[in-house]
Amino acid sequence: MNDRPTFSPFWHRVRLMKPRLRPHVQITRQQYRGRRWHVVHDPTSNQFYRLNPIAQDFVGMLDGTRGVEEAWKASLQKFGDMAPTQNEVIQLISQLYSANLLACDTTPETDQLLRRGRERIKKKVAAQAIGIMYFKIRMFNPDRLLTLAEPIIRPILNIWGFLAWCVLLVAALVTVLPEWDRLAQGFDDLRGDPSQWIWVGIVFVITKAIHEFGHGVLCKRFGGQVPEFGIMLLVLFPSPYVDASACWAFPSKWKRVAVGAGGMIFELAVASVAAFVWVSGQPGDLATKLAYNAMLTASISTVLFNANPLMRFDGYYILADWLEVPNLAQRSNKMLMHLMQKYVYRLRNLTAPSSLRGEQAILITYGLAALAYRIFLFITITLYVMGKFFAIGLLLAVWTASAWFIIPIGKFLHWHASSPQHSEHRLRGWGISCAMIALVVIALGMVPFPDRRRGEGIVESLDRTTVYFLSEGFIDIVHKRAGDHVEAGEAIVTFINPELEKRADAVLAQLEEFQVQERSARAAGEIGGVQIALERIRVAQENLDEVRRMQDDLVVRAPHAGVIAGMDLESRRGGFLKRADPVCEVVDPSRLRVVAVMEQRQAAWLFEGRETVGLPVSVRFYSSPSTLIEGIGIPSVEAGQKIMPSAALTFVGGGRAEPEMRDESGRVTKRPWFPVRIEAENPADLIAAAFPGERVKVRFDLPPRPLAAQWLDRLQKEMQGRVQL
Amino acid sequence: MSQTVTRYHALFESLRSRRRKPENRKGLDLFAATAAMKVRHARVTLGYLRREAERIDALAPDLKKHSDRALDDVVRTVRESFVRGRAEVALVRRAFACVREVARRETGEEAYIVQLMGAVALYKGRIVEMVTGEGKTLTGSIAAVPLAWRHKHVHVFTVNDYLAARDAESRAGIYRRCACEVGAITQSVEERERAAIYARAIVYGTPKQITADWLRDQIRLGQLSTAWTGRALLSRGGAGATHPGAGGPLIPGLHACLVDEADAVLIDEGVVPLIIARARREDDMAAIYKDAAEIARKLDAKADFTIDHLRRRADLTRRGEHRTAQLSERLEDPIWRATRRAQELVRQALVARHCYLNGHQYQIVDGRVVIVDEYTGRFLPDRSWEHGLHQAVEAKENLEITADRETLARMSFQRFFRTYPFLCGMTGTAADASGEMQRVYERPVTVVPTNRPLARLKMPTRVFRSSEARWNAVVDSIADLHRQRRPVLVGTRSIEASELLAARLTARGLVHRVLNASFDKDEADIVAQAGRHGTITVATNMAGRGTDIKLDRESREHGGLHVMLTEMHSAKRIDRQFIGRAGRQGDPGSSQVFMSLEDELVRHQAPGLLGYLRAIAGSDELSGVARRQALAVFRIAQRRAEARGRRMRTDVLRHDDWIEKHMPGG
Repeated sequence: MNDRPTFSPFWHRVRLMKPRLRPHVQITRQQYRGRRWHVVHDPTSNQFYRLNPIAQDFVGMLDGTRGVEEAWKASLQKFGDMAPTQNEVIQLISQLYSANLLACDTTPETDQLLRRGRERIKKKVAAQAIGIMYFKIRMFNPDRLLTLAEPIIRPILNIWGFLAWCVLLVAALVTVLPEWDRLAQGFDDLRGDPSQWIWVGIVFVITKAIHEFGHGVLCKRFGGQVPEFGIMLLVLFPSPYVDASACWAFPSKWKRVAVGAGGMIFELAVASVAAFVWVSGQPGDLATKLAYNAMLTASISTVLFNANPLMRFDGYYILADWLEVPNLAQRSNKMLMHLMQKYVYRLRNLTAPSSLRGEQAILITYGLAALAYRIFLFITITLYVMGKFFAIGLLLAVWTASAWFIIPIGKFLHWHASSPQHSEHRLRGWGISCAMIALVVIALGMVPFPDRRRGEGIVESLDRTTVYFLSEGFIDIVHKRAGDHVEAGEAIVTFINPELEKRADAVLAQLEEFQVQERSARAAGEIGGVQIALERIRVAQENLDEVRRMQDDLVVRAPHAGVIAGMDLESRRGGFLKRADPVCEVVDPSRLRVVAVMEQRQAAWLFEGRETVGLPVSVRFYSSPSTLIEGIGIPSVEAGQKIMPSAALTFVGGGRAEPEMRDESGRVTKRPWFPVRIEAENPADLIAAAFPGERVKVRFDLPPRPLAAQWLDRLQKEMQGRVQL
Repeated sequence: MSQTVTRYHALFESLRSRRRKPENRKGLDLFAATAAMKVRHARVTLGYLRREAERIDALAPDLKKHSDRALDDVVRTVRESFVRGRAEVALVRRAFACVREVARRETGEEAYIVQLMGAVALYKGRIVEMVTGEGKTLTGSIAAVPLAWRHKHVHVFTVNDYLAARDAESRAGIYRRCACEVGAITQSVEERERAAIYARAIVYGTPKQITADWLRDQIRLGQLSTAWTGRALLSRGGAGATHPGAGGPLIPGLHACLVDEADAVLIDEGVVPLIIARARREDDMAAIYKDAAEIARKLDAKADFTIDHLRRRADLTRRGEHRTAQLSERLEDPIWRATRRAQELVRQALVARHCYLNGHQYQIVDGRVVIVDEYTGRFLPDRSWEHGLHQAVEAKENLEITADRETLARMSFQRFFRTYPFLCGMTGTAADASGEMQRVYERPVTVVPTNRPLARLKMPTRVFRSSEARWNAVVDSIADLHRQRRPVLVGTRSIEASELLAARLTARGLVHRVLNASFDKDEADIVAQAGRHGTITVATNMAGRGTDIKLDRESREHGGLHVMLTEMHSAKRIDRQFIGRAGRQGDPGSSQVFMSLEDELVRHQAPGLLGYLRAIAGSDELSGVARRQALAVFRIAQRRAEARGRRMRTDVLRHDDWIEKHMPGG
């Protein structure tokens, strides 16, 4: 049951007042989830107020000639129990008055006006301080600009324009998708070329300006005003914004949605045009590069940020308008709070933020999703910034944590201590709060959780033979592939070399000729001639042997039993190999081991005190993720290396380590690494599963500890690492 | 030398005070303000006060030599410097010394060092705690004169009309010789005389009277903001107007105030705001209230409704709502068709029926419901409860229903007192409320040491299982003391209880007098007699504040006044005040508290713990561990009640502030 006392002790303050709505205030009618609402809008100050039909009827009666009491009594006559109570009337009048929507017949009190102004500024400053991630700088009033621009593009702001936009978008997608490789390559180039970043920044600001223009022009198109343009520092990055809130008064929700989506529509159009320019442009051109940047920023940022309804950007407003749930975010927070009060604190006499079933479901879903997203975003942004600039990141983390979590919790506790609703069961309320805090403390500070560190490694063999090609020829038949087992002497590859055949034929012919020479010389009794012929025959015979040997060597055989590793011969079929080129490696699988590489900073404390004992570790293979090998990791003495055991562990080979730019081999890294030798618990499993040279994921299992201890430890180590820098 | 206040001057000053809008601070602002106040007052330590008092005392021998005329001359020169705003340290000391000497010559009482310390602390704008019976009246009158010189007008607040009139009269001699006109505003002063009294330099009065006059002034001033626009108002008074306040405001601005019994005035009375109301003529609701009372009578407790005594509210159950609808079905008035409004009326009738009791919250006097002040135990004849509650109580008692009143203006006392640019106060019990004094009034509390050691004997508190057992023990104890020929003052919490005890005493043949709101005409007489040996006086809180019971020689020899408290009040301060009637100014005396497990305080504030106490209580009177635990529970209950009161006062203040901030016109 909900208390709505009819009378208010302060009624005398408004009773005889004869207020009226200010003459320039506009009221529009809107539908929200089948209910009628009236939005009171002051276009000059851009203040809004939403009234339900009964309140609207009451406000409608305030025409400056009727007293408040008279209007209230009329409302009571009309609506009975539904009529506003005296308290509600006072609330309504004070709020409308504070928003400057209501003119009163009293002389305005200068002190009060000034104080209200001061407080408004104070509030604004406080809001800015808390939302430091979205710092707004107001610049100018773009209304005249938009008034000039709007008629020019009005012809395309209709359904045909929208269809054309769809076609443009599809066409751009169709053009770009086949060039996917180039697209990805371009991205890598961009990442590796800091000189491009400033261009990306400039292009970003320009595309965002077009985005905001889109909002503005659509708002203008439907009759709204756009009084403010400025720059918002979004996580310290400048991004333009406009104030298109005039659209909140539009009666049709589709128009509101259109204004909300306007930015993205314009930005995606820009992205599409840029896509055409990029596809047809000359690679390496500045114009092409810029087009590429524009295409990328305009599409990715739009999809990631603007369209995301969980952040307070366009997507949120579009969603709220589309679902017809105004103030979605605040009300969903209130809804969660309400559920907490109702089911955890078991308070009575509560009013839910919404009485409609469907709306409640939306509020709860949105509230939970937004909360989860907020936590996720907080952690990612903080970790990212901390990775780059540790101190700023830490500051940002503390700031944001207090704005998003600590202040709300503090407010909740304060409410707890002071709200009259609670006075009855304050003790119980505190009990529940303490129990919840205790639960969190126990969960974080006492319950041990598995503590795991992840890294990468590579499978190495201790016994390996590189098989070199002793002949020359083209690869013909590949008998054994990488990973296949071979016995000693078994054929691995058969090469083909037609030239050798010819050479053999030629040498044979020569030999026969020399033998004829010898016979004829012997018959003629020329001792000298026989000598010469015999010498020639010997040379020819040697040649022949050589060619024969080379022909034999066209079949490459395993020098010993083992597993083939190394190059992928199959893909090089028909290729030509010179003498002494390596063909493949044959490794002895019974002598494999895994070497993990951890970042020096991390590994140093990972193994602190465990240098000789090692840590339990589990290894998974990229080739067969289901196989798991357990073992012990023992740190190697050769710590602090900058050369990886294999290029497979750096970006070059698909690994995680950042390679030094100038290095050709791809094995030299920027930061020092720390090899960890892993001894498999059961070597047979490793032999069965692993291929030498394969990249693996490793996971070190530290003894389980409470989460708080883990986090503290990490933070501490992280700090230590930074302080040294 | 008389002071004249022109009507224009009064208007000007009144408007100037009106513009002062005290702000209610919150959070960090409050913290900063408290810190600033502490820094400002850091210099005024007890040591400083003592040094000042001794320096003032050092001037005395010289002044004592002066003839009366010479002293008057000295006073005149000091006063003139003060009025010109040249109040240097040495001059202030001289002023205090002069007033002290004047007071000595006029009343024969010479202020002690501690009283001078108190007076200096008052002059520095502090709330002074002096032990009850240490002569606060003299301290106040010494401080009032320099304050009046400096601030033009000083309002001295006392808790009741009797004290206001008494003090104004008894101190008039001092003030007159110091060139300060004095007057008292009491209930009986006609409005036409009031402007003349307010024009005087020192005005005694109760908060209710002066606040009400101030509020009426505010209504009269309407929306005026400058004196220029107010000239029309003055001329409306007409040429025929004989008294200075005609048409214009009565009070020539709020300048400085000295609050006697500061905790009672500033804290206890802060719960209920002052309301100026007039009878509403238009709608006649009498029948509706009668019907509601009838329905409330027919509903069953628990099944139909639940009562929250603490918050004085009733809630209807489902069944109750249903029955309300049934019972109101045949009633004609359209108001019964509106479900919520109908239920509200019935709930109100239930509250009137179960939370408001004759002899406790009100008393029926000549067929009218008269509210009894919870803290002072006095009648509040002019006041009525708001929004139909008064009518609901009348309907319950089957009295004639008075017209509903509509509020014209409203002001919380907290807000009123904060409008004064200068505020100081004294009390016997301020330390308990020092936090609130600092937060709300930004006034620190100074505890001034006692002059003479306290000779009051505190006898162990007795706890009884039932109220019946307690009354028996109380009567036995009274009879015992009566036999010793000692005067006894018995405190009861309600009028009903005082009459109940009186009946028991009569039954035992003990001669006694009753002092409660119904007998307030005899107050002075009863108080004057109460100190005579063998007198038994049964009193409500009326005797709690400012009552000075003079002992005769015989009763002093027999051990002085014995104060018995038959129930604990909702704040420790009130208990301390009442007990403070004994052992004044070094007199002998003793006190004892009686409580029962059926007392309202524990029943409402600690119902859970009460069950436990009942379980461990063995015989009729609790002893040993059970008694000690019971005392702890009573203390907890009292603390809860205090916290609740504090919360209510904060709410009043917050609402006030919200309205001031958000309502058009300020």
